[in-house]
Amino acid sequence: MIMEADVAVIGSGPAGLTAAIHAHKSGARKVLLLEREEELGGILKQCIHNGFGLEQFKQDYTGPEYAERLIKDLEKTDVQYFLNTLVTDLSSDRVITALSPEHGTLEIKVKSIVLAMGCRERTRGSIGISGTRPAGILTAGVAQRFVNIDGYLPGKEIVILGSGDIGLIMARRLTLEGAKVIGVYEIMNYTGGLKRNIVQCLNDFDIPLYLSHTVTEIRGKERVEGVVVARVDSNFHPVEESEKLIKCDTLLLSVGLIPENELSKKAGVELSATTRGPVTTEIMETSIPGIFTCGNVSTVFDLVDYVAQTGAAAGDCAARYASGGLSGSRKSVDIVAGENVRLLFPLRYGFQDDLVLFIRAMEPVEKPVTIEVAPLDSKINRPYARPNEMLRLKISKGKLAEVKQPIRVSIREK
Amino acid sequence: MATEKRHFVCVVCPIGCEIDVVHDGSKIISMEGSKCKKSEEFVSQELVEPMRILTTTVRIQGSRWPVIAVRTDKSVPKRLFPRIMRQLKRIKLEAPVNILDVVVRDIIGTGANIIATRTMPRE
Repeated sequence: MIMEADVAVIGSGPAGLTAAIHAHKSGARKVLLLEREEELGGILKQCIHNGFGLEQFKQDYTGPEYAERLIKDLEKTDVQYFLNTLVTDLSSDRVITALSPEHGTLEIKVKSIVLAMGCRERTRGSIGISGTRPAGILTAGVAQRFVNIDGYLPGKEIVILGSGDIGLIMARRLTLEGAKVIGVYEIMNYTGGLKRNIVQCLNDFDIPLYLSHTVTEIRGKERVEGVVVARVDSNFHPVEESEKLIKCDTLLLSVGLIPENELSKKAGVELSATTRGPVTTEIMETSIPGIFTCGNVSTVFDLVDYVAQTGAAAGDCAARYASGGLSGSRKSVDIVAGENVRLLFPLRYGFQDDLVLFIRAMEPVEKPVTIEVAPLDSKINRPYARPNEMLRLKISKGKLAEVKQPIRVSIREK
Repeated sequence: MATEKRHFVCVVCPIGCEIDVVHDGSKIISMEGSKCKKSEEFVSQELVEPMRILTTTVRIQGSRWPVIAVRTDKSVPKRLFPRIMRQLKRIKLEAPVNILDVVVRDIIGTGANIIATRTMPRE
């Protein structure tokens, strides 16, 4: 089947749903939403814990409630959505190829595209743990799916490697379901997840957290029988004398997320080595005019509110592009990391809109900091900077109008 | 009672304010680090009886998936989580269930209802 549309959104998680709703609101006439799973909502459906939408809706929703709220808004529009539809190809001139059991091969020509494919979990392969390959090694998100959607417990005695939010949330969830979570081991000397999750997922259930520790070996033949854990030195090398065998039947990995950009690559979108997502401007436009991006495919965000915020911007701008409201100059300046900045989003400023900047610190600073945005002389103060909590700030378009050289962002102790 | 110093991380929102409180067992003498009224209420409650929303799943039949996400419709004492979980293991719902439907009224006498947090159509 051959189709045409103004805007197509790929992925129906919080970013894609919000983008589709906003594209419609901003006047795009025909908006398509493509989802590879059998339901809308993306990862929200398995995130049954609360804490979603506090900023956006001033409500404490669970993931599925948050998703249903967005889906309800979507259903008030005439956005057409396709489920079970896998996008297999994307060209730089904005032709989407997709497969669907209902429609067969779809070829969709669109005026603008919003990429909202989200991210994937890093696996054992990406961190290279030695040992055998028994059953019982899984990522925290897969375990979450097993427990919360498919309704079964993946193990009884569990070790968690990495202190990402999903790992912390699964530590609590598995404990509630009757499993024993022996401990959470984190290689860094600070936690990966939000502080509130350390409190309400670990401390509330007396689950120990070991910082500067890692798993050096997995043992077991058919099933995991144990893992060897060790303390690491300041270069992250395991200290041999500290190695200890811990008996368990399951190892959960919560060791980071990677934006899923297979399709972006096919279209030839420029990707960043730091965010692992497309290089974009403040209007979420990638290096290819008319292709926009939002949510965790762009960079991994901490909060769904941030994901939705980028979705709204991408949807609005994709609609503007489709109606010809964005054509014209594409001049831009780079936004570059200065002192104590690991990651920035977006990576370019295109002089179209206010700049909402997301910043991740390199090292934790537990005292007041100043965020410098050179060459502007505005200094923004924050009570602290932590790598596990993105800093966000907004700079008005007016202030940036005269900027000619790259914008350099630094975090300095006050 | 002598005064006691305690440290809390507020879990009301993702900011996670770190709050130092001095209390004497019956009233709060000083509180530092809180940025909003909600976190002050959180700490006062935490000193008496830690309360949390419980989110979990219960079995369901006649639907695409074998479990459905549920939560308490208000905070319940954290120490009662294991008892509530045991109670919820005994029930099995029948699809269809709508989002926010009450699936158990007044769970183990806490005054909180268990409500569905998603819609589950019949299949």
